[in-house]
Amino acid sequence: MANLTFIVFCPLVAALVIALLPRTFNVLFRLLALGATFLSLVGAVRVFLALEPGAAGLQFEQQASWIAALGIGYHVGVDGLNAGLLLMGALVAFAAVCVSREITERHQVYYVLLLLMAGGILGAFVAFDLFLFYVFHELALVPTFILIGLWGRGEDRNFATFQITLYLSLGALIALAGLIALYVLAGADTFNLPELTRHLAAQPLSARAQSVIFGLLLFGFGVLVSLWPFHTWAPTGYAAAPTAAAMLHAGVLKKFGLYGLIRVALPLLPEGARDWVNLLAWLALGNLLYCGLVAMRQRDLNLLIGNSSVAHMGFAFLGIASLSVVGVTGTVVVMIAHGLLAALSFAVSGYLHRNLGTVNLDQLGGLLRAMPFLGGVMVMAMFAGCGLPGFANFPGEALTLFGAWPAHRTVVILAAWGALVIAAVYMLRAVRALWHGPLPERWRDVRDARGAWVRLPFVLLLGALVIFGCAPRLLTDQIRPVVARLVEPGAKVGAATVLAEAAPAPRFTAQPPALPGQEVAW
Amino acid sequence: MNAFLTWLVLLAPAGAAVVITLTALRRPATAARWSIGAILVAFAASLVLFRAGATGETAVVWLDLPGLRVDFGLRLDPLSLLMLLVVTGVGSAIHIYSWGYMRGDPGLPRYFAGLSLFSFAMLGIVLATNLLQLFVFWELVGVSSYLLIGFWYERPAAADAAKKAFLTNRVGDFGFLLGIILVWSVLGTLNLAELSAKLRAAPPAWGAAATAAGLLVFCGAVGKSAQFPLHVWLPDAMEGPTPVSALIHAATMVAAGVYLLCRLFFLLNAPALEVIAWTGGLTALLAALLALQQNDIKRILAYSTLSQLGYMVMAVGLSGAGGHPAPAMYHLTTHAFFKALLFLAAGAVIHALHHEQDIWKMGGLARKLPVTFWTFLAGTLALCGAPPFSGFFSKDTILTLAWEREHYALLALGVGVAALTAFYMFRLVLVAFTGPAKSQAPDHAHEAPPVMTVPLVALAVPTLLAGFWGIDRGYARQYGAEAAAAHGWAAHLFEPFAHAPMAAWGGLLAAAAGFVAAWTLYRRAVSDPLPGLLGAPARWLRDRLYFDELYAALIAATQDLLARVVAAVDRWVLAAGLVRGTAGVFELTGRLLRHVHTGNLQTYALLLAAGAVVLLWWTLAR
Repeated sequence: MANLTFIVFCPLVAALVIALLPRTFNVLFRLLALGATFLSLVGAVRVFLALEPGAAGLQFEQQASWIAALGIGYHVGVDGLNAGLLLMGALVAFAAVCVSREITERHQVYYVLLLLMAGGILGAFVAFDLFLFYVFHELALVPTFILIGLWGRGEDRNFATFQITLYLSLGALIALAGLIALYVLAGADTFNLPELTRHLAAQPLSARAQSVIFGLLLFGFGVLVSLWPFHTWAPTGYAAAPTAAAMLHAGVLKKFGLYGLIRVALPLLPEGARDWVNLLAWLALGNLLYCGLVAMRQRDLNLLIGNSSVAHMGFAFLGIASLSVVGVTGTVVVMIAHGLLAALSFAVSGYLHRNLGTVNLDQLGGLLRAMPFLGGVMVMAMFAGCGLPGFANFPGEALTLFGAWPAHRTVVILAAWGALVIAAVYMLRAVRALWHGPLPERWRDVRDARGAWVRLPFVLLLGALVIFGCAPRLLTDQIRPVVARLVEPGAKVGAATVLAEAAPAPRFTAQPPALPGQEVAW
Repeated sequence: MNAFLTWLVLLAPAGAAVVITLTALRRPATAARWSIGAILVAFAASLVLFRAGATGETAVVWLDLPGLRVDFGLRLDPLSLLMLLVVTGVGSAIHIYSWGYMRGDPGLPRYFAGLSLFSFAMLGIVLATNLLQLFVFWELVGVSSYLLIGFWYERPAAADAAKKAFLTNRVGDFGFLLGIILVWSVLGTLNLAELSAKLRAAPPAWGAAATAAGLLVFCGAVGKSAQFPLHVWLPDAMEGPTPVSALIHAATMVAAGVYLLCRLFFLLNAPALEVIAWTGGLTALLAALLALQQNDIKRILAYSTLSQLGYMVMAVGLSGAGGHPAPAMYHLTTHAFFKALLFLAAGAVIHALHHEQDIWKMGGLARKLPVTFWTFLAGTLALCGAPPFSGFFSKDTILTLAWEREHYALLALGVGVAALTAFYMFRLVLVAFTGPAKSQAPDHAHEAPPVMTVPLVALAVPTLLAGFWGIDRGYARQYGAEAAAAHGWAAHLFEPFAHAPMAAWGGLLAAAAGFVAAWTLYRRAVSDPLPGLLGAPARWLRDRLYFDELYAALIAATQDLLARVVAAVDRWVLAAGLVRGTAGVFELTGRLLRHVHTGNLQTYALLLAAGAVVLLWWTLAR
């Protein structure tokens, strides 16, 4: 089952089968969706475990020609960079199907769309053909809009759908323009990423062209990741979305933009990257501080989680802006950790919404007495969200801060305030408002999540966060060699990085992080 | 073998916490057995390691990136060995006591899980081999403290106190993390042994960042050890169960800041140490003053903890560049014994009075609770620095240090605080344990069961005797300074008076003066005469000098205001203005182009493609 095409097409084929079945087979739809995503998950786990870290080139590679005239082909593969993302995506997809029992109408369409979304996401992460990469993303994106529009909740649903559609289509369009420009200017007549990389390594684009294309990709992908100030679609969109769509989008699909920046923009446009990273670092601070402060003011749990999720993207951008192996590795860890965390938070919030009818913090309180399991899960998720060690977010966030320090000191200082203090303020205020304090009479009879099936998605997501938090090398040892190859042209660390990578530094003689020959000024 | 035992010390409590959380959340007895068993195992293993004098380091690699290698390691040296004994020894007594004190509470398993998590995290700090690992466990003790302060989360006061403690600590940790990053960026490693070797080999490698890094690291200690100006969380933390206050907020966690400074002593240069000394001294004085007018038995002890932590931090600062902070560790150790004892005894009082904590509703408890009274008295005498109790020796080493460094301002401050200490502690003893009963509450008081009194007696032993065990010499060995031991108990007892008579007599006479003042004022008092004597200042002290109000106003005027403004901008400018404005433009365009805007998928696809082409053309044509 460790076959990428199988992993990607399991949900897609299941979607097709469901679409062809009679409309009333609700139980079967759910079983098919569960089965398909479960098979994908098993496959992703096996790929993750079987991956050889540090091996040159792609593994589990599969190719087929498709539109040969334009140099477009079907090309999938994994290396250390996307194996973890694939695993995270498959896990979240399975969890999202698990929590979809809240859907009460139009099951067939719902599951078709959800599975399309899941398959599209997984495909985008393993595609090594730029065209395929983009197509898979659109395959996942369009169902998101429909899911929010049809199964969404709240009064602002229409506006939220409208806003998210407008923003994300625009972002995707800008990114597409960048990709096409890359294709045309490279002049290699291929969308195949490895070939394109080889070609551009031999004949790099002019500095000006690199700068323009990197800008297009940065803002195109940036909008998809809710880069400040293009983030307002995210909190309202997630607050209105059905639980599973919020989990899949905030958790996984949103990471597509970051993945694109790391996989495509950094290695192919190293000169262009250097023109933009200072701006990017400050915009990342916008995410971290500004959206953190906005989250402090939210009284709706969904909006709070949404804003906090936007804030966390700041770490990812900051790591990219560092252009260092440490920072970008941190970004990838943040992507995986945040994917699990966002999915977990929205799952809990969705459960609360379904059982209590509201997630307004002013109306809730003391729920830990009535819902110890869910409360425990949520408190742990909140801790993960404020960067507590023991959860995967901590190593990721710490690495981005360490990595960005040499290049962006002021930003790191302010970002640390956002990470340690502001995040803790809104997370703990939410815990205080939701779970602590006396239990109002009105909520005395609410039911906790009972039964293995109901608890499974929470346990899986939380378990993954804890495992990767306690043993971050499971991720970083895979990611590091690939990232070193990708950012090496950009960072000009040159000899130091290569040395450190070729022979891991012997104990007690680690490399100094400052660039060689550069005095640390204080 | 030693490596195995060290891992056992660290992981036994962790295992207990995991097992309880996963399997025993509804079985109090099982949970208690796991938790108590784990800490006893850790204590036994620590004893074996200590007897063997094991030293060395063992590590696994936790993160490995170019230029950034983080070990997860365990380091045994004189400092960590003694500290292990303190944490597991005092911890064992408190774990056992908890089984009596918390009996019948429905959340008991959760309590023991939290306690074990805390023990794990604290032992991790003690054993850590590098800065990031220290930070990891630093955060984990913070979170276990949060969980345990908020143990009775249904009480708003407890929930608020937990939140306040965590957030205040986070402010300190902000500095700590930046300090770690700064040290790493200048010296290129996080490993403590490497750092100290590098600094010893080439002090100039440090450059101008030394003071900044030292003070940033000190920020962490200020938060965790509740030094001024981040001292406000500790008194509120008394909302947690009393054994928690004893273990976490008196004996171990709050002392972690001092331990951190001693562990990273090689990072601190002279200017940083001067700041540290004054911060500690001010905290000692401030907290002692605030303690004068508190009426809650636990809060008085909390302020006294603050004050003693101030002494320790001051001692670190006074050690000076080239010296060693063994006196600070010495006082930390004896303080852990007698303050844990005081808290547990206070817990026995509270237990007997059915959760009455106001000393002005107690009185005459000495006869009803004899074991509690005598052990509490022993703790008080040690705290006041009366010979031959352990506190006398450790406090004396600090005052002697100030004398030897010719830091007379801080010496005077230390002596003054000693007088205040004796005054407020005997105020507490005289009001609560002697004199007439001041309410109905003490009438039905009974001595606690043996599961609670045995730990009291067990802690009373080191409270009395730890001054004779040569603990200070044990710590001095860590810093390569061997001091000769005095021969015989009597010689040891009188040695301070011969060595630095000003310090020893000064401290002793100050304590005596404080005792006499308390005796005069409170021997027969049924209400506090001090407000009448002092007037308004007494009220200011009772209201804690309005620090909480000041901070609340400060936060409201800065961060909260900023959040308000930013949230408004986000809502009305970015979302409403730009997005709806853009939407308006689009709508207008849509109306103008109604004949192409048919709403079907093909048209959208066409527009998408057309847009892409236009953008592309625009990009390439320039």
